[in-house]
Amino acid sequence: MCYRYDGTFEGFLCAVAAHLESGGTEGEFLRPGVEAGAGLFAGDSRDVATERATALRFRVRFVTAVSREAFATLRYAFHSEAAGIERLLLRYVELGLKEGRRVQHMLAKEPVCSVYRLSRRVAHEAHRFTGFVRFREVAWPADGGLAGGDGRDGPAVSLMYARIEPETDILPFIAPYFRERLGDRPWMIHDLRRSALALCYRGSWRLVSGVSLAAQPGYTAGEELCSRLWRSYFQRMAIPERHNPRLQQSLVPLRFRAHLVEFDGVE
Amino acid sequence: MNNLPFEQRLEILADSAKYDVSCSSSGSNRRGTPGGVGSTAAAGVCHTWTADGRCISLLKILLTNACIFDCAYCVNRRSNDIPRAAFTPDEVVRLTMDFYRRNYIEGLFLSTGVTRSADHTMEQLIVVVRKLREVERFNGYVHLKVVPGADPLLVAEAGRHADRVSINIELPTRQSLALLAPDKPREAVITPMRQMSGLIASARAERKKSRKAPQFAPAGQSTQLIVGATPESDREIITLSEGLYRRLDMKRVYYSAFVPGSDDRRLPALPTPPLLREHRLYQADWLLRFYGFAAHELLDEDRPNLDMRFDPKSDWAVRHLDLFPVEANRADYEVLLRVPGIGVRSAQRIVTARRHARLGEAELKRLGVVLKRARYFLTAGGRYLGGIRLDGAVLVARLLAPEKRPARLDQLELFPATADASALTGEL
Repeated sequence: MCYRYDGTFEGFLCAVAAHLESGGTEGEFLRPGVEAGAGLFAGDSRDVATERATALRFRVRFVTAVSREAFATLRYAFHSEAAGIERLLLRYVELGLKEGRRVQHMLAKEPVCSVYRLSRRVAHEAHRFTGFVRFREVAWPADGGLAGGDGRDGPAVSLMYARIEPETDILPFIAPYFRERLGDRPWMIHDLRRSALALCYRGSWRLVSGVSLAAQPGYTAGEELCSRLWRSYFQRMAIPERHNPRLQQSLVPLRFRAHLVEFDGVE
Repeated sequence: MNNLPFEQRLEILADSAKYDVSCSSSGSNRRGTPGGVGSTAAAGVCHTWTADGRCISLLKILLTNACIFDCAYCVNRRSNDIPRAAFTPDEVVRLTMDFYRRNYIEGLFLSTGVTRSADHTMEQLIVVVRKLREVERFNGYVHLKVVPGADPLLVAEAGRHADRVSINIELPTRQSLALLAPDKPREAVITPMRQMSGLIASARAERKKSRKAPQFAPAGQSTQLIVGATPESDREIITLSEGLYRRLDMKRVYYSAFVPGSDDRRLPALPTPPLLREHRLYQADWLLRFYGFAAHELLDEDRPNLDMRFDPKSDWAVRHLDLFPVEANRADYEVLLRVPGIGVRSAQRIVTARRHARLGEAELKRLGVVLKRARYFLTAGGRYLGGIRLDGAVLVARLLAPEKRPARLDQLELFPATADASALTGEL
């Protein structure tokens, strides 16, 4: 049987739950945007609706049978978006339900080993981006009064806006971190690769998918000044006698630099 | 000196602050509060790395680089002809908040030159951190420098607001300190260090009884030693560090390769900073803190300095070949930690995974254990992984010039282990 789901983690859990319920032996999964291969089950497919309650029930079942840590591993690994991740995770789930707590210790065996590696990769990238996200203050609303009416309600409001292009889907992991830290003001983190957005407003956050910018954000005057100060501080902190660009590049690979304020116009 | 434009003062004060190597933002775990800004992450977060490969985690800045002391090794010494500048406490607070809101930094690392007196200078630092905590309700990380010779009451106050406090020893022996830093007697450094160690321990004990008990520097204290400015051996340095870790429960000792920047005749003329020596000292330091080594195991009277050719663990293992090879499936965790090339994480994974599977070479690789050096010291399932007879000279040659594998094979590695640069960057 081939399960079509909406591509979210919740949707995936619902699909797994449906598969386990059906008692079938082989399961394949299709997310939107991925072409159905001419696999064994190409003709036999089923749409799975995403229901929060079903996903939560499955979570309780898995955590009770295995552990919280194993569920966290599953969640991180899912967001790696690796090819064939769903089938790998299905094997992990099935093994977990059979073996119980032991499964998270079976690091030398498949599929645990691969799942563990992928989950570490995502967790590592999420941690990296807790440092690499750069918020920039943009005037909001962009044209001076779209949402608020005629602009007499008070001074122009600003918004902190950040762009990222991570290799894995880390928004669900970093959004709560930044909500706790900077949730007193509205902010957005825009994943350009996935056209997704985490936005935080009045202390709570949510994900929005299928986002595109209607216009380039306009930075406030304070933003221009602050980023200039940061760039000059950044350059000053390097000790010339210790110059070591190779080490720097292994720590800040080039792919991250496009959205790092301090690397703007720096070799 | 406050007449210069803000941007220019920032440059001057950053220039003066950059030789302090401490950069970590770890060890404190504070949640955000409603109405406040910021939080801290126990593991710390690096935000960027400069062109010398050192991480920026905190806004490291001096309140002023004017100083009444004349320590020969320091760029801010009284007799050095450099531009001087100062920030007001409000300027530092504003800059910290602006940088923090953009996620440039984890918080503030505030240090300063000594002006007027130690107490006056310490008071100025405390004004800044109190403003951050009380007016801005800042929950991010603050690392505060303690001024040598400051009043114990001020030291106690500093720790109530800061996550980490530090005071730099700079030079390992009393004689060197007297020679190069005549204004800074060793007692002026050690006394506050002892006091802070006591306060940290008692605050921790109180916190165990009540979660409402006030904190004192929850991320502990650290210090720094300059390497290469004075003739001390690695053995003296590492033994001192061991004492600081064991007796004062120091969180970190940083090592700073001396960057020659003065023609003072009391200082050695070095062509370049001794970076490799600094690196080896960090490796030895890690062995003390995470690998159960004692200083006397690494260095002794006959061998007072670390071998620059390989890491101190390989060096130790080559001198103790009678203890190897060990069996990956049976050796205790502490024994695995002593195998060259096996780190804390690999050792933990081996111990976990072998409960459910017999580990051979393939399994070890699957766990992510790097066998490049470890193979000469391990058997897996009874089979020796080294391929050569364990003989000192042969082994040393192998460790120094490991066999080159064809590039084609290297490409098969889907998830290559990333090099652990934390020892170089001083993170953690």
